[in-house]
Amino acid sequence: MDLPIYEIRSLKHSYAGKTVLEVEHLIVQPAAIIGLIGPNGSGKSTLLRLLGLIERPSQGNILYNGQFVEPFSDEARFHITLLPQEPFLMKRSVFKNVSYGLKLRGNSGDTADRVNEALSLVGLSSEDFAQRPWYALSGGEAQRVALAARLALTPKVLLLDEPTANVDAASAQLIKEATLRARQELGTTLIVASHDWQWLYEICDEILHLFKGKIFGRGRETIIFGPWQKLKTGKWGKILSDKQQLQVSFPPNQEAAAVIDILSVSHDRPTTSGEDIVLSGTVSRLSLERKTGRLFATILVGDFPFNVGIASEQVKEHTIFPGKTIFIRYRLDQIKWI
Amino acid sequence: MDFILEGFFEAYNLLVSGNAETYSAILATVKVSSYSIVCSLLLGIPLGFFLGYFNFSGKKTLRTIVDTLMALPTVFIGLIVYAFLTHRGPLGNFSLLFTLPGIAIGQTILALPIVIGLSATAIESMDKKLRITIMSMGANRRQLFLTSLWESRHGILAGAIAAYGRVMTEVGISMMVGGNIKWHTRTITTAIALETNKGQFGMGVALGLVLLTIAFCVNLSVSVLRRR
Repeated sequence: MDLPIYEIRSLKHSYAGKTVLEVEHLIVQPAAIIGLIGPNGSGKSTLLRLLGLIERPSQGNILYNGQFVEPFSDEARFHITLLPQEPFLMKRSVFKNVSYGLKLRGNSGDTADRVNEALSLVGLSSEDFAQRPWYALSGGEAQRVALAARLALTPKVLLLDEPTANVDAASAQLIKEATLRARQELGTTLIVASHDWQWLYEICDEILHLFKGKIFGRGRETIIFGPWQKLKTGKWGKILSDKQQLQVSFPPNQEAAAVIDILSVSHDRPTTSGEDIVLSGTVSRLSLERKTGRLFATILVGDFPFNVGIASEQVKEHTIFPGKTIFIRYRLDQIKWI
Repeated sequence: MDFILEGFFEAYNLLVSGNAETYSAILATVKVSSYSIVCSLLLGIPLGFFLGYFNFSGKKTLRTIVDTLMALPTVFIGLIVYAFLTHRGPLGNFSLLFTLPGIAIGQTILALPIVIGLSATAIESMDKKLRITIMSMGANRRQLFLTSLWESRHGILAGAIAAYGRVMTEVGISMMVGGNIKWHTRTITTAIALETNKGQFGMGVALGLVLLTIAFCVNLSVSVLRRR
């Protein structure tokens, strides 16, 4: 087995005395695609900044290719690059922004070619854009220029923080394609934080769920965040937008997150016993998990997406397809709380 | 009012005819202000970067002190520098009193807090995302420092212009430390003060026009730099 590209040991990071991230142990293999999922403030951006060697962890270590690294480490600074959520371009032309990192590396020979190639990867023509000043770009164009500046470096690790959050659909598609091409052509390790769960589920080898600064799951668990309310029935839960009641077991606190394991999916309403809860929803998407080859359906219940593994027969027999209304079943006593 | 108009004509004649005394004062001013501004920029920009970039205990107090020193009266600086450079003073052995380097020391003290304070403001107002961007592209500490300075160049240039303006137009230090010695330490401002006292408005106005021209040239160069 290859040496892990990253290993995190007993990492703890705090701001003004408040711990915002705690990771006991994490290993990332070379050329993997890792997705980070979690609500705002869950520690995704902090984890990316630490992995990107922008900040030094308050406690614990980060190893890159088996070596301890920290901000400005010569062993890693030319290999790792981070694209922050909000694009930031320096006060210079697009060409100079994209070539900045190459200049830092002392590259002079093929700079123009690499800049042009990186710009075309993100769908920008160098003829039209290379000489434009930083202020003459739209938000989507600026984000793509910022990505081009990273891709031009042919990095070993590319960290992306909500790369498609503030851009239009067309720019988002170009950004997704460009990052995957970097993985395919250069074997770049990708670590991506995004609220676009579907995209992450499709491309990632592993998904890490973060909540309140901790990794609490790796996979397609359905996680519903609080606040919870006491329903008229006396049970705890939420009233969904379609008036169904999403019931849960007694929450440890009102803001806790519930991990709900879906036991079955059927096109007829199943018979239920005491702890069983059945909800109806609409299949919004079918996706394939690259690593395992398993099929997953995303079922929208009210506004909440439930991710459920399905048998390929169900798709073949046309019992599950996008737009179809189906029933999901889970048990109250199997809900895990975080 | 006629004497003011006559002053303008005389100014024209003095400048066109290359009057030696006038040009001696101009040269002394350009020399001494160049020395002092170069010294204050070399010292002040790194100190301003440190003050604006890093967080440390006592930063706010230090910032208040720097801001207060930006309003230092020139005669007070002149007095202190005079006391240090006089033969009885701690730096008396260097024989810098009544010399251009002596004036430059005083003017550096005058300009330094302005350069530090305005550079620190420029660095503080720098977008926090810039640091992440520079570091994520693989910069080392020196490259981070230099790129941050370059990105804050407009604010730092504004500080340099303000400091240069203050140095060029001060009278107190040049008069007290330089002694206003003809052909030697007489600067434009001390010459204007002296000539006005003597009723020689022509030379005073001529020198005033030169000051304005120098200020215009400096601002023009800065405006060209800003466009880059």
